[in-house]
Amino acid sequence: MHIKKILNIRQTQSESLGGWLMSLPAVLGLALFMAFPFLLAIGLSFTNLRMGSPLPTRFIGFEAYQRVLTDPSFLRALMNNGLFALIVVPLQTVLALGLALFLNQKFKGIMFFRTLFFMPVVFPLSLVSVVWILMYAPGADGMINAFLQFISFGQISPQDFLHNPYLALPAIMLCSIWQGVGFQMVILLAGLQSIPDVLYEAAEIDRANQWQKFVHVTLPQLRNPLIFTALVTTILAFRVFDQVEIMTQGGPNGASTTVMYETVQTIFNRQQVGQSSAMTVIFFILVLVITLVQRSAAKQEREIE
Amino acid sequence: MWGHAGRQSEREVLQHLVKTFNTNQDSVEIELTLLPEGSYNSQVQAAALAGDLPHILEFDGPYMYNYVWQGHLLPLDSLISQSVLKNVIPSVLKQGTYREKLYTLGMFDAGLALYGRRSRLEAVGARIPHSPANAWTIEEFDKILKDLADQDPDGQVLDLKMNYRGEWFTFAFMPPLISGGADVINRDSFQSATGSLNSPEAVKVMTYFQSWIHDEKRVDMNVDDYAFVGGRVALSWVGHWEYPRYHQAWGEDLVLIPLPDFEHGSKTGQGSWSWGMTRKCPYPQMAARFIEFLLEDSSIVAMTDANGAVPATYSALEASRQYQKGSPLRLFARQLTEGYAVPRPRTPAYPVITTVFQQAFLDISHGAKIQQVLNRATQEINLDIKDNQGYPMVNHAY
Repeated sequence: MHIKKILNIRQTQSESLGGWLMSLPAVLGLALFMAFPFLLAIGLSFTNLRMGSPLPTRFIGFEAYQRVLTDPSFLRALMNNGLFALIVVPLQTVLALGLALFLNQKFKGIMFFRTLFFMPVVFPLSLVSVVWILMYAPGADGMINAFLQFISFGQISPQDFLHNPYLALPAIMLCSIWQGVGFQMVILLAGLQSIPDVLYEAAEIDRANQWQKFVHVTLPQLRNPLIFTALVTTILAFRVFDQVEIMTQGGPNGASTTVMYETVQTIFNRQQVGQSSAMTVIFFILVLVITLVQRSAAKQEREIE
Repeated sequence: MWGHAGRQSEREVLQHLVKTFNTNQDSVEIELTLLPEGSYNSQVQAAALAGDLPHILEFDGPYMYNYVWQGHLLPLDSLISQSVLKNVIPSVLKQGTYREKLYTLGMFDAGLALYGRRSRLEAVGARIPHSPANAWTIEEFDKILKDLADQDPDGQVLDLKMNYRGEWFTFAFMPPLISGGADVINRDSFQSATGSLNSPEAVKVMTYFQSWIHDEKRVDMNVDDYAFVGGRVALSWVGHWEYPRYHQAWGEDLVLIPLPDFEHGSKTGQGSWSWGMTRKCPYPQMAARFIEFLLEDSSIVAMTDANGAVPATYSALEASRQYQKGSPLRLFARQLTEGYAVPRPRTPAYPVITTVFQQAFLDISHGAKIQQVLNRATQEINLDIKDNQGYPMVNHAY
C-alpha cells in the first residue's frame, strides 16, 4: 500500500515533468512574443521615448496616460470600438446562426453554398477592403448605390458612404460582417451537427413544433459554440484595423477611427513610442475586463444548467 | 548603398548607372540594394535604430532633416566640386540643406501643376495662363470652376487626387497655403505653428478647398483614378508623373497650367528622392564621386526619361527633350528654377507636421469647422516641438 502510493506519486511527478517539458516551446514562445513585449510596453508607457530621437529618454510617470485619456481622438476611437462591438457582435452572431441553420439542411449543392459563404473568411482583409471601396463608390454607378436605388425605386439618392460621417462606420461594419460571418457560421454548423438526433425525436414525440424545437433543443445545445463565437467576435471587434486603414483612414473627422488605428498612427507617423505604449496598455486592460465579464456571465448560465 | 525601388524603368536605369560606375573605376565596388517604396522610410528608420545604415542612401525629400538631427548623415559641401553644385537647380539645393549645410542631392525634382482640357476651358471662355507670373487669381479660378460646373452633367469638374494617400496632401496643398500668406509652421524659428497654420489667411485658403470639395461638390473623389483620363473632369491638380498618361488620353487638348494665385503669387510643390551619405561611409571621397556621376547629364537624362521627373541640373534640363525651352513640360522647370516652388518645412519635426496637416486637410474636406481643426493641428505641432525641446542641435559623438 505504502509502496504503491509512492509509486503513484513518482508517476504523477514524472508525468507533470513531461507535461512541463512538452509545453516548454509554447510557454517560451508566449514569454518571448507575448509576455516580454507586453511588460516592455508597460515599462515604455512611463517614458517619453520617441523613435530615433537623439535626446535622452526621460521617465514621465503617468503623463502619457493622462494625454491619451484626454485626447479626443482616442476617446472617439474607444467609443467607435464600443459601438462596433455592440452592433456587430449580436448582428453577426444571429446572421451566422441563420446561415448555419440554412446550410445544415440536406439538399443538392449544399457543399457549394457552404464554400460560397465561407469564402470571404479566406480572403485577406486588405483585399476585401479594396473590393468594398469599389462597391461603395459614390455616385449612381457605385454598386451599392445602384442596388439601393433599384430596390427603393429611386427614392434613395446616391451616397458617398465612406466620406459620410454617419455612414462610414456602418459601412465598415457591414463589410466586416460580410467578411467575418462565415467563420462563425462554420463553428455553429459544427455545433448543429453534433446535436444528437434523439433529442429532436423526443421533442417530436412531445409534439413540439419547429419553433419549440429550435428554442428548447437547438439553442441550449448550441450554448457553448455561441458563447465562443460571441467572445471571439467581441475581441476581433476591438481589434478592427485593416478596414479602417484602407477604407477610411479613420475619417471623416474621426467618425470611423479605432483604438488600433490611433495606436498605429501614434507610433509610426508621430514616432511617439511611449504614448502608443500607454494606448496599448489601456487597450489590453479594456479587452481583458470585457473578456472576464463575458466569461463570468457564461459560467453562471452553465451553473443554472 | 540603398535606393527605393520605383518603377521598373527607373530601377533599370539606376542598376545600369551603378554598373557603369563600377566598371569605370576599380578602387571601390558599389553594391545596390533596392527597398520597396511604400515602407522605405520605416525601413531606413529601423536600420538607423539598429545602427545598420548603408554608406550611401536615398531619401524621400523632407524626411532627411530628421536623419540629420539623429546624427546619421555627413555634410556634402566640401566633398562635391563647386562646378557640379553650380549646375544644380536651386530647389534641389534648398531641399538638401539643413542648418546651412548640404546633406543630399537629387537627380530630379518634382513638378506640380494643373492639367487642363483646352477645349473645355475655352468653352467657358477661360483665359489659359502659361507662366506662373500670370497664374489665375483665386477669384478667377473659383469662377472658372463654377462656369465649368454649370456645363458639367454632375457638376464635378476638378480632380484633386483625393484618392491618393499620405504625403500627397502636404505636397499638393501646402503650396496654396503659402500662396495665401499662411504656412504649416513659422519658418523663422521652426518652433511654433501658431499664427501660421491657424492664421486667418490659412482659414481663408482652406475655406476655398472646403467649398470645392464639401459644399459645392465640384471635386471628383476619383475612387478609380480615372477622373481626368475618362473625361469626367476638366482640370486635374497633380504632379509631373501623370503627364504620359494624360498626354496619351488627350494629346493636343492637354494644357499645363500653374496653380492658382491665392494672393501672394502662384506657389508650387517640390522635393523628391535624393542621395546622401551616412557617417558610416569609409570612403566619402568615392561616394562623392558617385553622386557627381549621378548628376552628369547623361545619367540624369536617362533617369528622367525613365520616370518623367524634372532634371535637377540646368544643363540636363536643356538636354532633356521634355523639359528644354519650348517643350511641353517647361512649366515645371520654370517653377523650380524661378522661385515658385516652396520646400516642405526643413525641420526634424517634419514627419509629425505632415501627419497632422494631412489629417487636418482631410477633416476640412469632410466639412469640419476650419478654425477649430487648424487650432487643434497647431496645438499638436507645438506640443511635439515642445516634447522634443525645440529639436536642439545635438552634438553627436562620432
